[in-house]
Amino acid sequence: MRPIIQVRDLGKRYHLRKARNTNPTLREAVVGALRWPIERLGGRNGSEKNSLWALRHVSFDVLPGEVVGIIGPNGAGKSTLLKILSRITKPSEGEVDIYGRVGSLLEIGTGFHPDLTGRENIYLNAVILGMKHAETKRKFDEIVAFSEVEQFLDMPVKFYSSGMYLRLAFAVAAHLEPEILILDEVLAVGDATFQKKCLSKMNEVRSQGRTVFFVSHNMLAIKQMCNRVFIVNGGRLSATPDPATAIATYAASGANAEKGRTGINQFGSGLNNMAASA
Amino acid sequence: MISENPRVSAANLTSKAPPLSEKFHSSLILPEDPLIKIRPTRSWSFIDLRDVWAHRELFYFLVWRDLKVRYKQTLLGALWVILQPGLMTLIFMVFLGLLVRVPTPGVPYPLFLYAALLPWTFFSNAVASSSYSLVASAHMITRVYFPRVMVPAAMVAVRLSDFLIAFVIVVGLIIYYGVHPTWSLLVLPVLVAHLTLLAVAVGLWLAALNVRYRDVGTVIPVLLQLWMFVSPIIYPSSMVPARWRGLYFLNPLAGIIENFRACLLGLPFNRDGLIISACITLALLFYSAHAFRRMEDEFADVI
Repeated sequence: MRPIIQVRDLGKRYHLRKARNTNPTLREAVVGALRWPIERLGGRNGSEKNSLWALRHVSFDVLPGEVVGIIGPNGAGKSTLLKILSRITKPSEGEVDIYGRVGSLLEIGTGFHPDLTGRENIYLNAVILGMKHAETKRKFDEIVAFSEVEQFLDMPVKFYSSGMYLRLAFAVAAHLEPEILILDEVLAVGDATFQKKCLSKMNEVRSQGRTVFFVSHNMLAIKQMCNRVFIVNGGRLSATPDPATAIATYAASGANAEKGRTGINQFGSGLNNMAASA
Repeated sequence: MISENPRVSAANLTSKAPPLSEKFHSSLILPEDPLIKIRPTRSWSFIDLRDVWAHRELFYFLVWRDLKVRYKQTLLGALWVILQPGLMTLIFMVFLGLLVRVPTPGVPYPLFLYAALLPWTFFSNAVASSSYSLVASAHMITRVYFPRVMVPAAMVAVRLSDFLIAFVIVVGLIIYYGVHPTWSLLVLPVLVAHLTLLAVAVGLWLAALNVRYRDVGTVIPVLLQLWMFVSPIIYPSSMVPARWRGLYFLNPLAGIIENFRACLLGLPFNRDGLIISACITLALLFYSAHAFRRMEDEFADVI
């Protein structure tokens, strides 16, 4: 069986100088531009000092239909991995080959415009998520029914309650049908009823044989959904024989980290700070 | 890079069998070549036009969203599109036409002004709004993949639609002042396309720069103001001393605006100015597409 996703020696390096100062002023830019050729001549060692590998030497294959869970502490590189797979950011090294269409949900409701109505936002959001307009039209009634906001469909979403907003956003996302689905903590929002709905939708997706990438801190969801689990820590990825072992291993490492922060976890939290300041 | 491949179809098995059952594997036929290849940034690459084409629906929707939102929030709606160049015409007419008395070659000054302020308004609005567009879409850029070039390009398209509405007024003015239309009117669409390409070239480059250096956003109004005065908008290019004229027409906007007005009002055509402008526009377009491509990969990281 051929894999649907092949990841080979993937790495992503962030430049700390850039990360600390996301929006350099023109003066800094001019100084930087003058200094740049000198730094370039200095070779890679110079830049290595100011950079941080958020992810490195990551290789794995995913078979079609697998549901892969990714767990790890905050700032371990999970989101970076998902962002590379979703093509939001480029890797610094390595390669990825994907044999199918990818739909990524790093959050729900991306591109929602507060002044547009629920109806208009369904069309807009769907096309942003990569759905064809004809497909959205076909599924429109289904999406509306799923969202349970029929009466408010022609009202600008800025007047929606957060629950309505969330349901509408999730309804669109739930009708995305790519071969590969990438999910980042989408289930972490909403109340119990909402989460239940999400989980049942996930089950449906899985039963259709689609490949799912799923980042979560919810170990129960991971255990229920995934047939493979990767632990990401300090930018390294480790595969585990089965989900139960992975969760046990992760829980154990988490307990250790609680007692005294290990080097790896400090590395992780450094990344986390960087992400927060960016 | 991305393409709809009919051979890829997810299996529609309804059986619920956690954990993974083997039958899923056999039911999905994978394409021979990967649909998506993710590689580190190469130093020389061009905007992937096939990818842009695959996302054309997103482009329509970005334009649609902008028009829709604008008309929801404003009282006068589409009227602003006409009022903006109209009011500017009025201001310059009073100060330059009546007080300074700028000499114009055989056409009334208001008409002379509007015929140039119309394309200028399109150009400056297109450049300004596309320059700010990427930063304004930061949220989308860090969450979803799409060819980034869509965002500034959609802004130019929005402004182009404004321009077409405002164009109706110029027709009214021509009839009012009794200007006889000439065959050169047929060149207008070419000039509009030329102007659009120039706006795209400048807009793409500034938009990408603005992602990294927010100073660009501050400089743009000043830059546009300056650009307006070095283009033959409120005065004819014949007022520029002859020895400076070669330099003057290196401004790609000069050739376009002057010829736009010439075509509309039946004034003499400046062929050399247009050829120079076309060459510079093409060079700018290639440079800015390349620069955009190079900066594009790190948008999500630095925005």
